[in-house]
Amino acid sequence: MRARSRFFKRGQNYLGIFLVASFILVALAAPLLSPNDPENPGPVKIVGNTRKLVPQPPSDLAPLGTLPNQASVFHALVWGTRSALGFGILVTLCAALIGTLIGAVGAYFGGWLDHFLMWLSDTFLTFPVIAAIVVIQQLVTIFLHNLGIYFDYWGVPMVWQNGSISAVTPPIAAMIDRLQSIDPVLIAFILFSWMYYARVMNASMRRVKQMDYVLAARASGVPARRIIFRYMLPNAITPVIVLASRDIGAIVVLQTTFSFIGIGKTSPWSMVLTLGKDWMFAPKGLTTYWWVFFPVTLALVLFGIAWNLVGDSLNEALNPRSPAG
Amino acid sequence: MRFIFRRLLRIVARFVLTLVVITVLLYGSVMLTPAETRATLYMPKNTSPRMTEEKWQELLEKMIERYELNAPFHVQYLHWLGRLVQGNWGYSPTLQEDVFSVIIRRTPATAELTLLAFLIFIPLGLLSGVVAASKKNRAPDHAFRLAAFVATSLPPMIFAILLMVIFYIDLYWFAPGRLGTALQPLVSSAEFKQYTGFLTIDGLLNHVPQVSVDALRHLAMPALTLAIAQWSILGRLTRALVIEESQQEYVAAARARGLPERKVMWNHALRNALPPLITNSMLSAATMLTGIFVVEILFNIPGVSSIAVKSMAYVPDAPAALGFAIYSVVVVLLLMSVLDLIQVWADPRLRWSS
Repeated sequence: MRARSRFFKRGQNYLGIFLVASFILVALAAPLLSPNDPENPGPVKIVGNTRKLVPQPPSDLAPLGTLPNQASVFHALVWGTRSALGFGILVTLCAALIGTLIGAVGAYFGGWLDHFLMWLSDTFLTFPVIAAIVVIQQLVTIFLHNLGIYFDYWGVPMVWQNGSISAVTPPIAAMIDRLQSIDPVLIAFILFSWMYYARVMNASMRRVKQMDYVLAARASGVPARRIIFRYMLPNAITPVIVLASRDIGAIVVLQTTFSFIGIGKTSPWSMVLTLGKDWMFAPKGLTTYWWVFFPVTLALVLFGIAWNLVGDSLNEALNPRSPAG
Repeated sequence: MRFIFRRLLRIVARFVLTLVVITVLLYGSVMLTPAETRATLYMPKNTSPRMTEEKWQELLEKMIERYELNAPFHVQYLHWLGRLVQGNWGYSPTLQEDVFSVIIRRTPATAELTLLAFLIFIPLGLLSGVVAASKKNRAPDHAFRLAAFVATSLPPMIFAILLMVIFYIDLYWFAPGRLGTALQPLVSSAEFKQYTGFLTIDGLLNHVPQVSVDALRHLAMPALTLAIAQWSILGRLTRALVIEESQQEYVAAARARGLPERKVMWNHALRNALPPLITNSMLSAATMLTGIFVVEILFNIPGVSSIAVKSMAYVPDAPAALGFAIYSVVVVLLLMSVLDLIQVWADPRLRWSS
């Protein structure tokens, strides 16, 4: 219980927890904070007259103003919190699970298996995420292309068959939808971030493996699976938790960046920035049209800081000898 | 001497082995596609961009036959690997050019940006990390931690847009891209000799300093954006490692001997924090490369990343995607090898063990 008292010692720790809790609260309460348009649900909620092509300042309908297409910034911000949190936690959980498993198995059994697994994770470490996204996207594209499907100038799927072009049939359209709903960024992030967890877990498990109670358990014939999961994991998992909580913020920031430059699926937060960026370049745009970028930027920065603070605090509380990094 | 040799051998072995595994995985993923797709990987270097549909199909058939693209995996893989080594990386339909020559031509732009960012962020990161560590939990440390937190969480595009609004639109000091349109014809003309491919250096060597100045004007914003992101990572890591080292007894001993605090921190604590720092940088080399490409795309620099952007569209272009992936891995491995050699210098223990 000393860990808990250490955790609540410093104000900074409260700040991180408070910020993360508010993000989770906003994500959960999204339908209450900003109800969806019943006819057109989704992060884009058009309010007001779409013939106006200029971002409108905050009003009752749109508490944080609108984008040039008259979509409410507040709505995108609130629902974007939900998708950002979901994306960050999903990627981190998957990566941490894979990494923990690989690191733990390698450290427990040791020998060639350990060498092989760690060598594998080192190999994955040399592959940049952006290259992985490009390759995954290409594979999906080539697969579609070989079915005779291509996308016209407006991105509408068409079929090329026996020298004539036609619209796709509904079942094929559904399949294309499903294929395109695979977010290459999501897959690439999971595939190429487990290595850090594996390394951390491996080192931590090796340390725990030397402890007497594990030796005692092995000597008394407890099965390997039970030793790994019940005896060693609880004592070795803390660095993984620290790493994971720091990662969530970083992953969301990176995803928004990729989305902004047109890689992967559009997230609501990056949509606001993409639509609003031209107005930032307008004369005195930063002060006149502040709502097209400031709320989302603040949300992103706070999101990143919040998870980093939580990670630092956890590190300090669970691992008192190492300094916060 | 024997030690250095052995170390070099290990570095080369890792380089080759990793590359083999990555290429096997990549070619394995292309094996899921039909032979016609794979045939695009084997197109001759001087493929004409203007070709009728029939001629293209004919060429594909010819390639399938010549390179046995219906043969088992290992046969095809070895064929492909042999061509990779010779610099035949395939013809990209979207770039309308041979992938390898595009990559080689665009590398200097990327390298120039990266080197400039290195020159900014490495000294700054080490300096701020050590200062923050020696003033732990006091005002400079808090200021550093806040700044680093914001810099890690601030998406690069926001910083990029802010820089562009202030320094490009309002002040017109800097500009995006690589070179102004006024100097473009001069640089692409035959009189302008390409010594290094770096416009800043080539401008001086060709006695046209205005090219260097203009290139720097265009490099400033992307280099700053890249440096800020990397600075926060390096600074935080340095701070954590130096704090860890300064709790060691040898630091207390150095202080007891009456060494000035500056010397204790830089020559003792930081010196011993260097090996783990280098190891960590090796682990994040791939992440850094992703960051470089992102900045390049944001500022519209005609570097290697433009290949990635083009192949992101829903147009089949396996050679460009594979070429980009292999190139990225080679760059990461080169970075790692250099860091590994620096590690030998930084960590004398390595010279006796292993």
